[in-house]
Amino acid sequence: MALNLQQIRSDFPILERKLPNGKQLVYFDNAATSQKPKCVINAMTDYYEQYNSNAHRANHTLADEATTALEEARKNIANFFGTSPSQLIYTSGATEAINLVAFSWAREHLSKNDIVVLTEMEHHADIVPWQQLSKEIGIEVRYVPIDTNTFTLDMEAFSVAIIDASLVCVVHTSNVLGVRNPVEEIIRQSQEVGAKVLLDCAQGAPHEKIDFDSLGADFIAISAHKMAGPTGIGCLLVKENIMSKMSPFMTGGSMIKTVTTHGSTFQDGHALFETGTPRIAEAIGWGAAVEWLNQFEMKEIHSHVHGIASWTAREMQKIPGIKVYGDPERSDSSGAVSFLHETIQSLDLALLLDEGGFAVRTGHHCAQPLMDALNVPSTNRASFWIYNTMEEAKSFIKHLSYIVERFS
Amino acid sequence: MPDDNIWSENLISIIEEFQDCFDSMERYELLFDYAKMHPSPLPPDEWKESNKIVGCQSRAHVDCNLDSNGNFMLRGGADAQIVQGLMSITAIAVNGMTPGSVLKMTPNYAEKMGIQSSLTPSRANGFLNMFRRVQEEAKNLME
Repeated sequence: MALNLQQIRSDFPILERKLPNGKQLVYFDNAATSQKPKCVINAMTDYYEQYNSNAHRANHTLADEATTALEEARKNIANFFGTSPSQLIYTSGATEAINLVAFSWAREHLSKNDIVVLTEMEHHADIVPWQQLSKEIGIEVRYVPIDTNTFTLDMEAFSVAIIDASLVCVVHTSNVLGVRNPVEEIIRQSQEVGAKVLLDCAQGAPHEKIDFDSLGADFIAISAHKMAGPTGIGCLLVKENIMSKMSPFMTGGSMIKTVTTHGSTFQDGHALFETGTPRIAEAIGWGAAVEWLNQFEMKEIHSHVHGIASWTAREMQKIPGIKVYGDPERSDSSGAVSFLHETIQSLDLALLLDEGGFAVRTGHHCAQPLMDALNVPSTNRASFWIYNTMEEAKSFIKHLSYIVERFS
Repeated sequence: MPDDNIWSENLISIIEEFQDCFDSMERYELLFDYAKMHPSPLPPDEWKESNKIVGCQSRAHVDCNLDSNGNFMLRGGADAQIVQGLMSITAIAVNGMTPGSVLKMTPNYAEKMGIQSSLTPSRANGFLNMFRRVQEEAKNLME
């Protein structure tokens, strides 16, 4: 069933706004962050207006309501990702989730010369923590290259790289190329050689059903703000048997059972990793976001977004001098379309698009090793989501053609 | 306007030229034209880490010196035409001034030209970083 775009768009007040130059906003920067529906904004406002209180720490009514809402959100979010709330640790986002694995699991279970496998497609969030760990304890970091003709991972090189590896960290869907990696095969091969698997699903989660238990990855990192939720919250999904062998990397309030002047004892489960006051409003907002998303099939969202992205990429390539990086025609590609013009510099192009009201991203997209592999310093990136329309895509192509005609 | 007092006739006439543009796209087109007319360009083979403008999304470099008369001379280069165009206009504005006069300038000529999007620091597109760097160099040249 086709999505009712009029209805969907009416849930996002920001889509009505005009830019200071009077142009209607066309928001194509969804891979950076999605817009938020009214129900998310209202849920967070309602918390602050009606039951703002610190969770887990008191016996009064407001604290009880806040605690219930926080844990109800955990239940709904975990359910959305096909797992139980006991396997969901709230973090500030995917970056902190990956750092949690690096600090809590890896520091305890890896040592000098242990091998961590990454890919050239990773976001810096899934590169820098491992480079730091390498400096500190001497792990070996290996990178799986991409095939720059197909923009896909070199799976032959992958099979070689994972030999003797302890951990394999792979991005589910590239934030630059929109390419969805063969994560099922990656998990199967990695676990066959005895390696744990960490998937960065920051870009995958807004586009397809991420089912943690079925996928079988050991760790999954997710950010709420790319899937209609607020900024400042995300989670690490982690298998319980692994979580029970992890030590906290932040300590303090909430995560303790007892504290005396002689020492402390700690909580079990996700509470061990959620020290300090929780992100209560953000969790409630994310819970509202997944409830909002639950009215759709993720396949419907993907099909809609993919339709716009693949059409736009095709039309872009008809414009003289435009090159698309990635393969938006692949049925599993996300809504991210990276492109460059041969003579109009990416920053110039972004500013000229902005003049027309089009919000696209420019830069290295926190993926400099991928930029190096592609031999470009930066790209422009248009990224689409559930509320974008073909009319917006058509007006984008029209404006892009106009810019190229006038400025190249 | 206090800034008008230290703006050269050249700069005032450039501002008027931009103000006469029909719309923002025409202004950008004019800016692209100025990018090609830099009075004192810094060729890419002289782009070094030491003259790089930090915080700019595009590559941008400036080299500031005094000419034989002790007047300020800005040479610059950028790969983005919008930054290069603003740099070119800045060079037209400051070349031949004393370093002290350069220090007194404010960057609001870009706003007067109607290049609004180049003014917000969070855009990281280089103009304000470039302007600050030019003034730092002017200050150093006074010492």
